[in-house]
Amino acid sequence: MTINSVFLQLLTGLQLGAIYALIALGLTLIFGTLGVVNFAHGALYMLAAYCAVIIAGKMGFLAAIVLVPIMLFVVGIALERGLIRYFYNRPHVDQILVTFGLAIVVEEVVKWIFGANNIPFKLPAWGNGVAFLHEYIPFLEGFVVFPKWRLILVAVSLLTVFALFALLQFTRFGLIVRAGMREPEMLRFLGVDITKRFAIVFGLGALIAGIAGVFGGPITQVSPGVGMNLLVPSFLVVVIGGMGSLAGALIAALMLGMALAFTAEIASLQQIIIYLIAVVVLLGRPRGLLGKKGVME
Amino acid sequence: MSARSKAPASARNGLTIAVFAAVVLSMPFWLPLIGGYEALATKIVIWAIFAVGFDILLGFTGYLSFGHAAFFGTSAYTTGLMLKHVSADVLPAMGASILVTVFLAFLLGVITLRRAGIYFAILTLAFAQMFHVAALSIFQGWTGGDNGLTMSTRPELLGIPMTGLNVFYFAAAIAIVGFYIALRIRNSPFGLMLRSIKSNAMRLEYTGVYVRAYKQIGFMISAVYAGVAGSLMVIYEPYVATKFLHWSTSGEIVIMSVIGGVGTLIGPMLGATFMLYFQNVVQAFIGEQWKLVLGIIFMLVVIFMPGGFMEGLRRLRGAVTPGGASGAGADSTASARQPAE
Repeated sequence: MTINSVFLQLLTGLQLGAIYALIALGLTLIFGTLGVVNFAHGALYMLAAYCAVIIAGKMGFLAAIVLVPIMLFVVGIALERGLIRYFYNRPHVDQILVTFGLAIVVEEVVKWIFGANNIPFKLPAWGNGVAFLHEYIPFLEGFVVFPKWRLILVAVSLLTVFALFALLQFTRFGLIVRAGMREPEMLRFLGVDITKRFAIVFGLGALIAGIAGVFGGPITQVSPGVGMNLLVPSFLVVVIGGMGSLAGALIAALMLGMALAFTAEIASLQQIIIYLIAVVVLLGRPRGLLGKKGVME
Repeated sequence: MSARSKAPASARNGLTIAVFAAVVLSMPFWLPLIGGYEALATKIVIWAIFAVGFDILLGFTGYLSFGHAAFFGTSAYTTGLMLKHVSADVLPAMGASILVTVFLAFLLGVITLRRAGIYFAILTLAFAQMFHVAALSIFQGWTGGDNGLTMSTRPELLGIPMTGLNVFYFAAAIAIVGFYIALRIRNSPFGLMLRSIKSNAMRLEYTGVYVRAYKQIGFMISAVYAGVAGSLMVIYEPYVATKFLHWSTSGEIVIMSVIGGVGTLIGPMLGATFMLYFQNVVQAFIGEQWKLVLGIIFMLVVIFMPGGFMEGLRRLRGAVTPGGASGAGADSTASARQPAE
């Protein structure tokens, strides 16, 4: 392998991992705080992608970038207040079932309105085309190009991740959420209204799915089934990383993205590589890479 | 506990089996009366086998698997390949399918049963999806990829062609035996162990029971039911679709079980009947949106009636005969918030 191809595969891996990371971050955030596995998280991504297509078509792409995450935030909070909160005291199986049912309903409604097929998602002019990477990076030889939009996706993902970590690490809200992830009981005893904050966390998870939908939509697909197709690898990311661990999810997403990129030439291996990694990791570390003892036993 | 449980278990089982057999065997006659057709009866019986087996896992041990499509589908492909390349007789095909399913269930059980609850659901979903992906890529030469696996010859059972009602009665006989075995399991010490896992696995572990082994065996039994159902599906329509391995098949069996009533054995079969009836008969009236309606019904059941149709029936009985049925006091409050359907 030449240095160019290694570099390109690294970049591809980064980009593939970026989408998984965005979806998995929302999943693991919601799981870690609320203890709910959201099977409808893929549906939120799908919903965001559809909203982005419509808004981008009517009001321009920049409007979609601003509006869609806000819309998803509202949807997330409405979902938590209207449905999920009644399931905190029910068995975990019920939580899975109700979010699974929700995913079906959302998918079918979208299918009803927009049809079952992939709808085109036009990139804005500033994101179209390719970037000539050899002009910026000295060690590359000859001519190296990469789709601009995929670079933007990587950048946006990185920004989102940093913003999320900053929010959780450096704000009072983040402090309470992190404490709530560890010891929700203790926090309640201290008189902190964690349910209100956890509703915001659910909205936050949905918001991240919204960002993923806007920027990932043009790359993945905009079809009713796209959410569920992304959900399965995202679950793997969460499980490999260790449920409820944000850093673990990032590492796992990057790992799977790279694995997919570097097996691209062996098509049959590429299809199952992420599952093989999951088997190996889970046999060695049943709690995932950074999973803590006591979380979800 | 209802008052009826004072009767000896074996006598009650005998009655249940007799009624069940009568209902199932007469299905080709009564189903057309309500808008169904003969072939639908076969499908219902096959899915009922799948559902009973699924209930042994979900209903007894409380483990929600989102990966039973792996057993259903792999067994279907094994049956298809056996029928196509080895013999048109169904017995060797089914035998091979069961062997493959048992082996597969052992492997998947070892990996997934390390964790419970949410973890288990996610892991089964992911690994079952691996089989779907593998069937479409690595094993494409065997499985026919997206086109599915078609067979040229009709399968037969010891010389009897497996067509029309023959398939139905073959499947119905297996369903009755399968239901009987499930009832026996429920009343056996082994079944008690499985149900103890559901109520408190840790306490069971502390009493010195090797819980992992019971879970593993329960998982494998449940998988064999799924495998038999998958095998019968291929005998019924000599064709294997890749959808059999897709997670949506796992989703369907989950929906059926929950709508019908988890843990009741009868309930999941009722759910299977309801769903297939809905899919094939009601669809004609409401068109493409049947899936949406089904999804909404599923959500309503999960939210308001977690015990499914069986809980609904119990509540109805409690409402009709106040004070008659035991636990009517609890039922009357429950029936007050029963959703209108």
